[in-house]
Amino acid sequence: MSAAENAKAVLRRLTAASATERILISFAALVLAVLVGAVIILVSGRITTCQTAATTLFGTGFCYDPVEVYLVLFNGALGEPFLLNDPALFNPNWNPLNFGFALTLKETTLLVFTGLSVAVSFRAGLFNIGTQGQLVLGGLATALFSLFVAPVLPSGLVGGLVLIPLAVIVGALVGGLYGAIPGALKAYADANEVITTIMLNFIAAQIAFVLVSEFFSNPDSQVVETTPLPDWATLLPVAFPQGGDFSILALAFGLALVVGVWFLLEQTSFGYDLRTSGEQPEAAEYGGVDAKRTTVTSMFLSGALGGMGGAIWVLMVMGKWQAGVPSLGFDGITVSILAGNNPLGVVPAALLFGTLKSGSLAVQFGTGVPKQLVGVLRGLIILFVAMPEFFRMLGSAIDLEPDRETVAADGGALGGDDE
Amino acid sequence: MSTTTIDRLRDTELSYRATLAGGALSVFLLIALLGLVFPSSIWGNLLAILTSRSTLSSALRLSVPITFAALGGIFSEKAGVVNIGLEGLLIISAFTAVITTAVVGPEMTVVGLPAIWIGFFAGILSSVLFSALFAVVCIRFKADQIIAGLAVWLIALGLAPFAATVYYGGVNTDNLGTTLGTWTIPVLSDIPFFGAFFDADPAVYMMLVAVPASWYVLNRTAFGRHVRASGENPKALDTVGVDVSRVRYAGVLLSGFLAGIGGSALSLGLGQFVGNNQTMVNGKGFIAIVAFLFGNYNPVGAFGASFLFAGLEAAQIRLQQVPGYGVPDSLIQTIPYVTVLVVLALVGRTRIPAASGEHYDTGDDNR
Repeated sequence: MSAAENAKAVLRRLTAASATERILISFAALVLAVLVGAVIILVSGRITTCQTAATTLFGTGFCYDPVEVYLVLFNGALGEPFLLNDPALFNPNWNPLNFGFALTLKETTLLVFTGLSVAVSFRAGLFNIGTQGQLVLGGLATALFSLFVAPVLPSGLVGGLVLIPLAVIVGALVGGLYGAIPGALKAYADANEVITTIMLNFIAAQIAFVLVSEFFSNPDSQVVETTPLPDWATLLPVAFPQGGDFSILALAFGLALVVGVWFLLEQTSFGYDLRTSGEQPEAAEYGGVDAKRTTVTSMFLSGALGGMGGAIWVLMVMGKWQAGVPSLGFDGITVSILAGNNPLGVVPAALLFGTLKSGSLAVQFGTGVPKQLVGVLRGLIILFVAMPEFFRMLGSAIDLEPDRETVAADGGALGGDDE
Repeated sequence: MSTTTIDRLRDTELSYRATLAGGALSVFLLIALLGLVFPSSIWGNLLAILTSRSTLSSALRLSVPITFAALGGIFSEKAGVVNIGLEGLLIISAFTAVITTAVVGPEMTVVGLPAIWIGFFAGILSSVLFSALFAVVCIRFKADQIIAGLAVWLIALGLAPFAATVYYGGVNTDNLGTTLGTWTIPVLSDIPFFGAFFDADPAVYMMLVAVPASWYVLNRTAFGRHVRASGENPKALDTVGVDVSRVRYAGVLLSGFLAGIGGSALSLGLGQFVGNNQTMVNGKGFIAIVAFLFGNYNPVGAFGASFLFAGLEAAQIRLQQVPGYGVPDSLIQTIPYVTVLVVLALVGRTRIPAASGEHYDTGDDNR
């Protein structure tokens, strides 16, 4: 599909835009998504039924109060440091190492991996929507590898130190190979990667389901899942409460990967090749870059990061592989887009989106608004980040930006005839 | 581009498609041969499935959402806007159709129109509105079409289960207890095998009308000419005084209208919206994209490809009911997706409209 060329032009334009502008756009998109989300909450408050209205606007009662929803969301994600509806405001019993905050960091950790995965491919000009499938199979490989190797290793700390890194590598390898398939299809058959990766997501889910239900299922369980891994082979919470499923080690590993990927993309010749084939494919070819090989390698790398995300999901969260893997891969798209596809930006973006995800549980519990709200915000954020022109027009319409020259830094082609 | 280059391109494309069509036909003949020689083997079963009237009728029903989404995709992409959000349009219309019917009351009739048909039109309307949003974002605000399309998909994927949970307390809607039903044409429906064409879901008839109608509009009307020019050479269209943006808006809205019919027909054919995982749409919008690429942007070709994919799906469902081969259902379910992948790998080098995916600046629409 031609969109490839066009997409590359857009990516080029996005990269040319100044970092400040990108941060502003991401922030504006987030705010706008939250506002539209508030309208959706109000409207759904009319659809559902309740005894007493949560809020009344223009003489009409609504079952959900958006302001309250977002307050509960934020407060829940941090583990309730504030007492809403109480004059004291601060919660004296608040402890930073709490359950709610552990949930937020758990989501953040997983999103760092999937966000990085998406960011690497997008930077290479490849729309890898298949992080989900790569994560599903990578996670399964990690679980099966650990289950087979665990019996021959000494249990306890030593065994864990040997097994966990190996299991993550296996997950990365399988995810990477699964990511290389659409890479190769793109490079050698010109098959659009958006479609192939989405098809491969379906195929991955089914294959993993068959493998587990037919060959590796847990005989003691009704659901499709593997036998649980021994505790020493998983990443256990260190300072945070047990139920939060958050291990600071995994987050540290994720952050190290962020720096590693940033270094790879920005400071090495491979990273240069990857970026130029994304931004200026003709120039890259002319400069002697093997475009086909770069495509396959980038997709392998992207898939490997997704596979590691699956490994961490298995080792840190579940302690086994279970069918019905959450859609972390799709969340990764939002995280990467919010981060402007910059590895360093993935950290704050993952934290923001992780806050939304974990806070949504508190929202469902506290206000009755379904946690699926995050799924809506996920799409809205992508939509708004995708239309920087909207914010520019908005900016020039209300004339809040006196220095419009900086805005035109977005690669003259379109900026010129904005007025 | 000189005519010879176009001809050469067309030749290679034709040979690709001819190979594929030939391949499909020879696979069928092989199954037929094996089935006739060994009637009691799996091949015999397969042949029985492929030639049964109920498989044909379910293939027709299953091809409705794919075909309509593919037709929509053709109009949008021919006009120069890559609409990767077809999946989202199917999801939103499938959900809206069911919830509207439920709110009106499945048994009710409003001004002579049964509730289910009100739901049907509401589904179409929701898809049109959603595609209008997509069009504004892509054309007015020059968003990247792929990313905006992904956003349309993901918003719908989030919104439908969210709204279902608000209304029903779960991601699936309740069953309406009623469906679009079937329209049976007397006498003709008694024909063996092909009678399935005359004893079908109303949406199947709509599809059989929409395919040639789309071909006619695209190839024989002024509007169709404008749509094609808008995707191939917007500058020329602009020069003769046609507003490129308007043609593109029309193309995208038409894709919303057509995909909306597909989505409404999908959920109302079952009487329920299923919202877990990838929802009941389950990739049909993306399969539709491959279908029209395979069909080379020709509505009739796109229908052929949709019918092939739907036929595989129908055969796959029937195959699950054949006991005793020990092939897990989930593995059989991957057949359509794998086929789509193979087809895309083989027809990947399709010649797409030259200006598709690019913004077109008239230079005077930025007030």
